[in-house]
Amino acid sequence: MSPAAGPDLSMFNRFSTTFRKGDLIFCEYEPGDTFYLIQAGRVQIVRIIGDLEKNIDILYPGEVFGEMAILEEAPRSATTIALDDVKALEFTRENFEVLMMGNPQIAMKLLKLFVKRIYDQKRRFMILTLDDIEAKVADVFLMLAENQAIDTSAVDTIDFKTTVDDMSHWAGIPPGQCREVLNHFVAQRRIELHPDRIVVKNINDFGRFVNSRRKKQEK
Amino acid sequence: MSPKAVQYRANSIIYFKGDQSERIFLLNSGKVSLNYVDIETGQEVRDLIKMGEFFGVKSALGRYIREETAVVLQDAAVMVFSVPEFESLASKNTRIIMKMLKVFSNQLRRIHRQVQNLMVSDEQVNPETGLYKIGEYYLKNKRYGQALHAYKRYLVYYPSGSFASDVAIKLQQAEEFLSRYGSGSPPASASAPTPSPIQPSLSAPSRSAASAAPAATSDQAQGYYNAVSLVSQEKFLEAFKAFKKILEGGADPEYTAKAEFEMAKCLFYLKQFDNCIKSFTAIVQKQPKHPEMKDALFFVGRSYEEKGDKVKAGGFYKKIISMGPEDDPVIRKVRKALRTLEGEKV
Repeated sequence: MSPAAGPDLSMFNRFSTTFRKGDLIFCEYEPGDTFYLIQAGRVQIVRIIGDLEKNIDILYPGEVFGEMAILEEAPRSATTIALDDVKALEFTRENFEVLMMGNPQIAMKLLKLFVKRIYDQKRRFMILTLDDIEAKVADVFLMLAENQAIDTSAVDTIDFKTTVDDMSHWAGIPPGQCREVLNHFVAQRRIELHPDRIVVKNINDFGRFVNSRRKKQEK
Repeated sequence: MSPKAVQYRANSIIYFKGDQSERIFLLNSGKVSLNYVDIETGQEVRDLIKMGEFFGVKSALGRYIREETAVVLQDAAVMVFSVPEFESLASKNTRIIMKMLKVFSNQLRRIHRQVQNLMVSDEQVNPETGLYKIGEYYLKNKRYGQALHAYKRYLVYYPSGSFASDVAIKLQQAEEFLSRYGSGSPPASASAPTPSPIQPSLSAPSRSAASAAPAATSDQAQGYYNAVSLVSQEKFLEAFKAFKKILEGGADPEYTAKAEFEMAKCLFYLKQFDNCIKSFTAIVQKQPKHPEMKDALFFVGRSYEEKGDKVKAGGFYKKIISMGPEDDPVIRKVRKALRTLEGEKV
């Protein structure tokens, strides 16, 4: 293994495990009680949505995945595949404290990861608690813009690499219903719908729309 | 730069909800409350900070806007850290991070549940079905190594699950294809990883591994895979016809034998139980050491059971069980079938 820049993890070699290129490391829905720190190679995170394998992320050495297993033995929320021959440290809830105590840098990385996950879930919650389905879909666009760190005060038109199925997943509504809403937005000339992307003509218009619905709902 | 000690008077505000700042605070003395609206109940919540506790951590570390207003209730002494100062302190005292990890993981668990509760029901796939479908996806897309892994996991967690018999069959198919083609594909699909040689780590001892043929994707092989794919889509009549075509046109004895076996299976799913029994009986008579003898007999037994002949069905089940070994997934299924059968007789 090439000594990646970072903490010395040689004392954790007994937790070391390897995966061959193409191996599934774990499957979405299988119970999970381990999490991993990548030491060498890349790991792809995917979800099978309908008939498509959707790429969620590609992780590099030094990154952690499967960390939700620290919390509870819940089913995995995604499938992970070794993109190269992968070397990783495998941890369980039992040995996790040992690793963290000896490796503040990793612990800090995990802390930041949790912060991001909490924020992402809260943001998702905000979308799901909107009553109006058009507002839900519009709010998904706002969330996607936030995730891409787009300054909406500077731009109006945004080209999102997203699909109807993605949108329906985030909005928590059935794809058919989501398509209806999007078609309505198309008819209103608020968006352009393409097979692999959606162009929002005026993101700030959606921002005002979502805010007004949220305020109305709070009353 | 180093952390600064700052005094706050009662009723002052340390930060407002909506502020953006990279400061992290540690309460040394006094009383500070974090006020926010609970996203679930819409109620105003006031959390008192304990002495020696950090606050403002999440928004500072994640560079998000503050989600709460920090109000001083009694004169307070607070240490103010920048993010790098906080990280430097925490790296010398991992207990600080561990404590926060526990707090954050509880928060994460809570919000995760709240989100799950709001998802529409068709988003909430039952894990058993979900796992099965992952295997199906990879098998259909000819990514056999990945299909094999998913099916194996399925049988580990759901050895007598509702898809177990189907999975056991498909697992064998995936193993065969994998040993023949590696984890790549016949015919190359764009998304599959580059074809690699046989992966010993993935191909568990397989009855069919020995028969691994040179990787030639003949029309016959192609036809066979298409037919298998019809089976996985539960299009049994179409599959039957496709296998029949292979059998009739077939020069390669390996594929004709496989096709014959698969046709007999299709007959079962098409509820042609007499024909199914006849076909399997012919197959095992022709090849008394058939590698899938137990599967074949299981279909015969199930056909008798479907026909209402419980005595014959039970006889076949017992015979299969006597063939062992104990932990064979087929044997496990048969044992279950026998229990159900005997339960019904009472």
